[in-house]
Amino acid sequence: MDQLERECRSYTQYLTGHPPLPYVIGKYREFHGEPEQAAAWSLDPFDQFLVEFSARGSYHASLADTYASRFRSGSALRKKIVLTLAILECVPPSFEKLDAVDRGGWTVTIARLGLAAFRYAVRLSISAALFTPFRIACAINRKSRQPAVAEP
Amino acid sequence: MDRVVVVGSGASGAHFALTALQKGRRVLMLDVGHTGREPVNPNDSLNHLKRNLPDPAAYFLGNRYESLVLPGHAGEYYAFPPAKEHVFRTAPEFQFRANGIAPLFSFAVGGLAEAWTGGCYPFDSQDLSQFSLAYADMEPYYTRVAMRIGITGTNDDMAAVFPLHGGLIEPLDLDDHSAVLLERYQRRRRKLNGKLGCRLGRARVSVLSRDLGDRKACSYSGRCLWGCPSRAFYTPSITIAECRQFPQFEYVSGLYVDHFRMDAGGRVRSVIAYGSGGQPHEFEASTLVLAAGTLGSAKVFLESLYRDTGRAPELHGVMDNRQILMPFINLRMLGRQWNPDTYQYHQLAMAVSLPESGQTIHGLITTLKTALIHPLVQTLPFDLGASLSVFRNVHGALGMININFPDHRRQGNIVSLDVESAPHRAVIHYQPEPGEDARLQEAIGRFRKILWELGCFAPSGTIHVRPMGASVHYAGTLPMTQKHAPFTCSTDCRSHDVENLYFVDGTTFPYLPAKNLTFTLMANATRVADRAF
Repeated sequence: MDQLERECRSYTQYLTGHPPLPYVIGKYREFHGEPEQAAAWSLDPFDQFLVEFSARGSYHASLADTYASRFRSGSALRKKIVLTLAILECVPPSFEKLDAVDRGGWTVTIARLGLAAFRYAVRLSISAALFTPFRIACAINRKSRQPAVAEP
Repeated sequence: MDRVVVVGSGASGAHFALTALQKGRRVLMLDVGHTGREPVNPNDSLNHLKRNLPDPAAYFLGNRYESLVLPGHAGEYYAFPPAKEHVFRTAPEFQFRANGIAPLFSFAVGGLAEAWTGGCYPFDSQDLSQFSLAYADMEPYYTRVAMRIGITGTNDDMAAVFPLHGGLIEPLDLDDHSAVLLERYQRRRRKLNGKLGCRLGRARVSVLSRDLGDRKACSYSGRCLWGCPSRAFYTPSITIAECRQFPQFEYVSGLYVDHFRMDAGGRVRSVIAYGSGGQPHEFEASTLVLAAGTLGSAKVFLESLYRDTGRAPELHGVMDNRQILMPFINLRMLGRQWNPDTYQYHQLAMAVSLPESGQTIHGLITTLKTALIHPLVQTLPFDLGASLSVFRNVHGALGMININFPDHRRQGNIVSLDVESAPHRAVIHYQPEPGEDARLQEAIGRFRKILWELGCFAPSGTIHVRPMGASVHYAGTLPMTQKHAPFTCSTDCRSHDVENLYFVDGTTFPYLPAKNLTFTLMANATRVADRAF
């Protein structure tokens, strides 16, 4: 299994709770091969780290995405997960799952939304504690590698 | 028999041509004429399409993923669906430069209205007073067009702002969310009508609730956004197909009309068009009708004047409706399942009077159902897993108001010709009216209060002021006037500069009310043809 397939499997599991169909993996690969889309995947070392971390499984994807949602909203990781979502919403059986509404009236829905926000806050704390030191390290490392500009 | 040459096959050109043909005229229509593909699996509903297509992602996202909206994109909430790609495909011969506006152009059969949302809102007496026309002058043509294309509507509170003309057919079945909004409006009507100046009612939409000729009534397939598979939803290419039934109609596609030539008397003699290889074609014309869209027609006119006189004048007063998209959540619809097998464009419309600015603003209410979800899910302030969970439970409660603002002709808004470039470029300069921000904020505040009264709220961070040009309601470069002045037209849309030249698109509108202009374009083109021949 190559990196792209690992990513697609991890993100699909994260979004739907199920593994992807071969069709979804094929479309995910196809998009990455589009020359017009190459700019979307330019990765700095921290982006690279987030993508590789997230490809380890759905929980890893959840943590990395939570961090990216707040601190790297336009990152390659977010783009890859949105791409996966866009493919999943076009095909059965995932579109049915994505369209389904949980049972309960509006009070239950409000409670669910509150719970979702609470869980998000918890995950955000964990992910910030986990990723912020690595991000700082990446930034320092990149700065130290920049060639010094010679004085004229 | 004299030949009428019509340039462009959009809403105006199509209805002008059909009327002229019905009056026995010989019509030659010149057009670039991009076409799209035929609807796939026409009997499938949206969800069946997802199950039955061999490559559904290509259908919904595009072969090159052109309808995919990734994080970090700037612009509209949604990209155009792949099935409508041909509508906005350019013609390499047409070059332009724009400042303060991002205009869209169409070179497709049927023009920009091939991608419209079907709103058919007649101008009232107050709107038309600036045209030197009375509503009675337009009413027969609104009725005639309604009978041609099929428009749903009813006699409700909207009739005070959108006059009732003949030919309306009964509205479609309301989706659940729209029904909840309308029911709430009925209960809060006094306050909404009075203090908030809001009237709400059924939309006037060009979709069939019953069969019309060989077109079948809407089957509620839920596929509107990707192109109606049954032709229940009207687009001008349907009228072009009707024109083709006439033996005296000739449609020539693959040609970009660049300019016309004049004789010594200052009358149009012929039209010069270029094929895809750049080879010129010349067509004799006894009457020339420019219906290439306001900006396209302006370019042809300016190019022709330049070639004839060596002058490249400026046309003043180009207009466009500013639009705001205001997403909202209806609290009563939270956690409710939505039905994809419904009509997808707006089913409700509202008119709101703003006493501070003296404007009447028009809003179209669309309840979101089968639109792709990934562009919206990514805007929620959570990770995508949580956002998806939240979105699924608010999906049925989501709606969007498209708010339209009026526009006036102003001297500083100009279309001109850059004769230094090769090929010559149209140059469009637009600047909003001073004080626009305050008016937009006033309207946003009022609409949020109205939504609250309707049991909805509009999250402030999601309100999107669309860039100028996005509404594609361009008008006003050669306005109709009773005064005989250069670069104007008569009230019958005949040029005051060139005797046998007519403009039947938005070019001649001296004012843009806060309404979709397409229905009036069709009715006015019908009126002009009726009076000219």
